[in-house]
Amino acid sequence: MPVANIAISGLGLISACGKNIAETLCAFTDEKRNAGKVSLFKTELDYPVFEVKDFSSLSCGLMRTLGLTFYAVRAAIKDADLENDLNDFRIGVCLGTTVSSQLNDTDFYSEYRRKGSASMNSVDRFLKSNLAQAVAEEFKVRTNFCTTIVNACSSGTDAIGVGLSWLRNGYCDIVIAGGGDELNRVPFDGFGSLGVVSKSVCAPFDRNRSGLNLGEGAGIIILEKEEINRKRNKKPDLFLNGYGLASDAYHLTAPRPDGSGLEKALFFALGEAGLSPKDIAFVNAHGTATHDNDLVEGKVLSRVFGKEIKFLSTKGFTGHTLGAAGGLEAVFTALNLRQGWIPKSPGFLSLDEDIGIAPVAEKTLIKGKFAVSTSLAFGGNNSALVISRN
Amino acid sequence: MAVNKEEELKLIRSKLKELLVSHLSLEDIKPQEIKDDEILFGEGLGLDSLDAVEIVVLLQRNFGLEVKDMNQGRKIFYSVDTLANYIYDNQKK
Amino acid sequence: MHIAGMGVVFNRGRGLDVLEKALEDGWVMPDSGYRVLPTTLTDKVALKEARRADNLSKMASLAAYDAFIDSGISNSVKDNLGIILATAFGPHVTTFRFLDDILNFGDAGVSPTLFSHSVHNAAVSYIALNLGSRGPTLTMTEFAASFHQALILAESWLTEKRCEYILVGCADQTGEVMQYIVSQKLKVAADGKIKPFNLASDPECVPGEGSAFFLVTNNKQYHKYAKISGLDVVSKEDPELLILDSDGMTGDERRYLKQAGKARLVSSYAPIFGSFLTLSGFSCLVAALSIKRQKLFAPPVCVNPHNLNLCKGTESEKVNRINCLRYDCNNRELLIRLEVN
Repeated sequence: MPVANIAISGLGLISACGKNIAETLCAFTDEKRNAGKVSLFKTELDYPVFEVKDFSSLSCGLMRTLGLTFYAVRAAIKDADLENDLNDFRIGVCLGTTVSSQLNDTDFYSEYRRKGSASMNSVDRFLKSNLAQAVAEEFKVRTNFCTTIVNACSSGTDAIGVGLSWLRNGYCDIVIAGGGDELNRVPFDGFGSLGVVSKSVCAPFDRNRSGLNLGEGAGIIILEKEEINRKRNKKPDLFLNGYGLASDAYHLTAPRPDGSGLEKALFFALGEAGLSPKDIAFVNAHGTATHDNDLVEGKVLSRVFGKEIKFLSTKGFTGHTLGAAGGLEAVFTALNLRQGWIPKSPGFLSLDEDIGIAPVAEKTLIKGKFAVSTSLAFGGNNSALVISRN
Repeated sequence: MAVNKEEELKLIRSKLKELLVSHLSLEDIKPQEIKDDEILFGEGLGLDSLDAVEIVVLLQRNFGLEVKDMNQGRKIFYSVDTLANYIYDNQKK
Repeated sequence: MHIAGMGVVFNRGRGLDVLEKALEDGWVMPDSGYRVLPTTLTDKVALKEARRADNLSKMASLAAYDAFIDSGISNSVKDNLGIILATAFGPHVTTFRFLDDILNFGDAGVSPTLFSHSVHNAAVSYIALNLGSRGPTLTMTEFAASFHQALILAESWLTEKRCEYILVGCADQTGEVMQYIVSQKLKVAADGKIKPFNLASDPECVPGEGSAFFLVTNNKQYHKYAKISGLDVVSKEDPELLILDSDGMTGDERRYLKQAGKARLVSSYAPIFGSFLTLSGFSCLVAALSIKRQKLFAPPVCVNPHNLNLCKGTESEKVNRINCLRYDCNNRELLIRLEVN
């Protein structure tokens, strides 16, 4: 059953491939991949990562994740032309993250181990770093609807889904939704130990893919009831039509081999949007470039959408940005719909016969109005969004 | 020489069994109950992909050994015996 | 939404029987500061897939499992069962163990098992695994407002028919490092006794840990306990009882005086469970039990300098409506209203 129209009235982003929409679209067109060694912290590991260059942490000492997220939120609010009007409406803030929700400061813990005591500076910083609360405070949003989603790799997508629920249930008129995460030693070491990180720049869905690269950034969409948007004399051109999520209940770190959890999430999202798979012009896949994710996801995309489906993984441009991924990929999906094209799926060279379908191998024009963005999380959560344009 | 090798292997297998039980939180089984030819994955001890990467860390910390390629790992991790032999062969080098 | 089943793991053990006994017994000096004992966290059936799980995941898994079983709902609904977990701090004990690995063994020598359990959503993953449940799952965090927000989302999912049944709950843990942090940031009660009616500007706390879960549904067939009839920030009607979450964790508790002063009867069960940012979940357990049993449980610690109208002893009362109230650090009033079905 189709849902009430929810407009996407603003987009904001920051990632290794650009600090604004224009830069990002150039990177997409030029197939520019800004991977390099870690510079944000000292490490003996030399896996390539996608850092946001020339971006300093906030001078007030808050976590880098907050700095990245505030930057993208600021851009999205400006894009939505809401800078002066935010509190004229019932606003919600729902954001996904992994790093900023963890008490994982190694300097603090190292000092505590050594001395049995430690300075509370990092703890104070952590207590101010609930991402949604921090954004509400920074942008002076007066709301009781602000919450942070910590669903690992699908956090950003799920935050957007929660925002959709708030709007549909009448709790808010506008929701600032998406996600942010900084490059951090804990997931960097952790994913490395799982053996899923590549020593070269990642190649999603490629036959010779060898794992993911981590990245950082923030992707924010402003969700707004269409009636509110029109009252503000705007003409919305992008919409959020559906959201689905389902659990694999299979394993803590590996996806269910038959992909039935992802399939369920996809059909729920399509059902909410009143669409069938053939209506979808393209899919922005989760596509981490790990052997298991791409195999499972690729086969599901083929099964659900058919072998001709156009799809790509933008993680080849941004790395896997964890809590930010769903937010960034929603922004990319919306942008690509608006622009009428999707970039070549970065890093892809040759078909994996086990997957059976290949992502787009060149910049591709898109005529359709509907697209899907998928996320598969550590722990077995699968999420999907349906986004459309006028 | 062969006797020494067998004694060493026996010690390695014994240490391995202790480590597997403690590090992988194996319940309902004591180290001495694990057979030498016990298959680690699937039907035997029932270990999974997360245990496999944990064993890599176990080998690093307790025997100073690296497993660089998980495809190679599949053969090494087949059973307690194959793992013990890998440790014996590579510790000597 | 109706509460069809409940489950709890806390310092004194596991299960609603243990909880009722604790409420009848009243105040007892907590074992090792409200820690959940290792013996509580063993169950070959409920934890059959949780061999490697850490304590937070085990507490949540047991409480959720018990809530599911308590509801009597058929196993066939598991594809239509959502899971929402609220946690203020997540698996910090495991995170610190992972940091130990980094410091002891370097970036290349860390345990992947510890890493996998250091993510906030590991607990929900285990709940889904243990129950074999394939519906929507989500973990959220908003410090003291976490459980309140989780209930709002549960209500939304049911209204949207995202699923027909939801296990919604809270879980938090304490640990050596967290206790140190609490000792530096807050005032810890030297006598181990939370005094929730002191309502002082600098209240005392004693950190706790545990998990509380509810199986909720709009399906009127499952009316076992009470309905959650309001998640407002302003109370509308006069409840028979106001339960205060004044556990010393969120600053100046003089804020509670206005509501507590005009309430018909007041209680608080923080001294049963310990101080938690997600204490609201546990207060709701007691509220739901009270409504089902049609009786009020005496507050375990009755130090009452403001002469509030406390429940006096455990007595049978007509109990139609109970409000659970918490203020967070931003002075937001978080109210959960439970009513008889």
